[in-house]
Amino acid sequence: MRKIWVVVQREFLARVRTKWFVVTTVVGPLLMAVIIVMPIVMASNGGRERSIAIVDVTLDGFGERLTLMLGAPGPLRARRLNVGVAELARVADSLAGVVGRKELDGFLIVTDETLQDGRAEYRGSNASAQIDMDILRRRLSEALLTERLDRVGVDPTLVAQARIPVEMRAVNIRGGQATGESGESMFWLAYIMWFLLYMAILVYGVQVMGAVVEEKTTRIVEVLVSSLRPFELLAGKVIGVGAVGLFQLSIWAVIARLLLARPELVARLIGLDIGSAQGLALPEIPSATISVMLVFFILGYFLYASMFAAVAAMSSTEAEARQAQTPVTLLLVIPAIMSLMAMISEPDGKMFVALTLIPLSAPIAMPGRWVVSDVPLLQLYGSIVLLIVATIFVTWVAGRIYRVGILMHGKRPSPAEVWRWVRST
Amino acid sequence: MSDQFAVELKGITKRYSGHTAVKDLDLRVPKGSVYGLLGPNGAGKTTTIRMIMNIIGPDAGEVRVLGQGRGGRDLSHRVGYLPEERGLYKKMKLLDLLVFLAQIKGVDRIKARRGSIEWLERLGLSDWVEKKIDDLSKGMQQKVQFISTMLHNPELVILDEPFAGLDPVNTQVMKDIVVDLSERGTTTLFSTHIMEQAEKLCDSVCIIARGTKVVDGPLAEVKKGHRGRHVIVAVESGMDSVRRLLDERSVVAKADTYGQYAELELAEGADPQTLLKNLVQAGARVTRFEIAEPTLNKIFIDLVGPEAATARAKGDFANA
Repeated sequence: MRKIWVVVQREFLARVRTKWFVVTTVVGPLLMAVIIVMPIVMASNGGRERSIAIVDVTLDGFGERLTLMLGAPGPLRARRLNVGVAELARVADSLAGVVGRKELDGFLIVTDETLQDGRAEYRGSNASAQIDMDILRRRLSEALLTERLDRVGVDPTLVAQARIPVEMRAVNIRGGQATGESGESMFWLAYIMWFLLYMAILVYGVQVMGAVVEEKTTRIVEVLVSSLRPFELLAGKVIGVGAVGLFQLSIWAVIARLLLARPELVARLIGLDIGSAQGLALPEIPSATISVMLVFFILGYFLYASMFAAVAAMSSTEAEARQAQTPVTLLLVIPAIMSLMAMISEPDGKMFVALTLIPLSAPIAMPGRWVVSDVPLLQLYGSIVLLIVATIFVTWVAGRIYRVGILMHGKRPSPAEVWRWVRST
Repeated sequence: MSDQFAVELKGITKRYSGHTAVKDLDLRVPKGSVYGLLGPNGAGKTTTIRMIMNIIGPDAGEVRVLGQGRGGRDLSHRVGYLPEERGLYKKMKLLDLLVFLAQIKGVDRIKARRGSIEWLERLGLSDWVEKKIDDLSKGMQQKVQFISTMLHNPELVILDEPFAGLDPVNTQVMKDIVVDLSERGTTTLFSTHIMEQAEKLCDSVCIIARGTKVVDGPLAEVKKGHRGRHVIVAVESGMDSVRRLLDERSVVAKADTYGQYAELELAEGADPQTLLKNLVQAGARVTRFEIAEPTLNKIFIDLVGPEAATARAKGDFANA
């Protein structure tokens, strides 16, 4: 045990002292800040107004009323150009020139037919900006609806009443009680956790691989195994790199907590006005969630790190290892993507339940499911037990491959040879 | 009885897929000796040493190190090991690395630090203590490797091809270390395929080829076993005049004739005196008749044979 501790210490210090660690530790929170601020930015649509022209070819004043409606609070500033059908082509050409000079973002062509079949055309430099187009489309159809109802003689106050939008709060129920957190914010939290777990397991697993290959290629491994059992070396290495991971994640967690507590600070940092940060409702993260995430990170990391170590032990060069890691990476990526899809489409479906129980996907899937839905405790513990059993088994196999592999150089072993390593005493 | 041996191997065998690297090998390294494990490349030296160190396990047989039925790794605080393929952590600082390598042998931190600094001074590396290994020259890195082997004052030092790849300066440093170790009573076991070095340094040797022992014992005895069979002869009238006698296969097994003199290897059981008598009776005026002590190299070639002295190419195991 003391020897493992010495290896852990070395591995930890050697990594924490690198530039790589400092850079990623700093860049991580920046990324997080971007993720947190993104919704604000998106809500305020980048803070920039879009200036568009309404090319009005209608004869009955619909264009005018539409322009008026677009003037309602929102990021669009519209002015109307009354154009005859005959001039349309010429005006459109010259407006395209104006858009080209960036004096205008684009223009919407409305004709009399628009009212009947709903057809309109927008041309502009922001035509692929989904949010802009959504707003424009929504406004246009609202205007059309109002106009059509008005024409068949429906009372405008009735129309206004009919248009009061739905505001449904989606609140999670956990353990038979409403949580007070909105379903959407829980989804975002689960999504962030999914992303963090996936990245952390992959990044630190690959680091274990790099460390093993490095020891092999520099041949220091033989000096090491003359003093340490291969298993002590492997354990020390995996724990050491994992400790670096936990250390980095906890630095981020602390920073994230500080940032979440004061979103207006974040907003100011990137130059947004404080008011726009108000709407930001961030969920409180209960300690149970953090514990679940921690348990699954540690187990998942051990599971994959030992696989990466085995891959490294089979390879003689870094290039070879990078090639050989693909199956292991896929073993992580595919369950991760399936988990994300299940989480989005059916967070309480059978598929997601299965993914949270299968050891390969559980480390990434379970914490997300824990956040978005009510996980029966039996399933949580079952998942942990299965994962522990799988981790012990995989670590055992990996340890045996590692033990023989680290002293082998030359051509990559065939699967049959690797199997012999596993079985050999 | 095992107390008098630092290393004792009984019938160890190691098979790899396709070939047997070491076969039924017995070996005894007396305490305090400088012991040479000799053999051509691919003879099984590294495999044997790795089994002594418990880096790999034998398929059969028993390994005893320092009187205990455990391999060198479990006694790492009493054993120093320098593998043939040596490496260091390139990014670590010199002192940190030495302390780490001592710590994994079970030496405590403070002692390791003190020992490192002493050794670094002794080998002239004091100015490099805070430098990264990457910044050191290859020769300096080799010295660092020696230090990591000796730092914890081991009772038994095992060196696998210690002279391979050393520059002349470090070769001398290594030799001095070995001599110094033996003066302090440390047992040293090293492998080499360079017989001249073994001859200068070893008290005892074991020659192995193709994974089996050819001969072992104290160097003097090994040589004695081969003494008397090598004779250098010169006659006044030139060697051609006694050609007939030299071709007598019952007496002379092999003759290398150089005009003015000849190096002879006598046949099994043949008495050098018989040869001398024959020469005199034939009327030759003998100017030189010397029963030579064979060099270790000569013994090696004789025993192993030139064909076995060439490395056996065997696929996956670069160090088998």
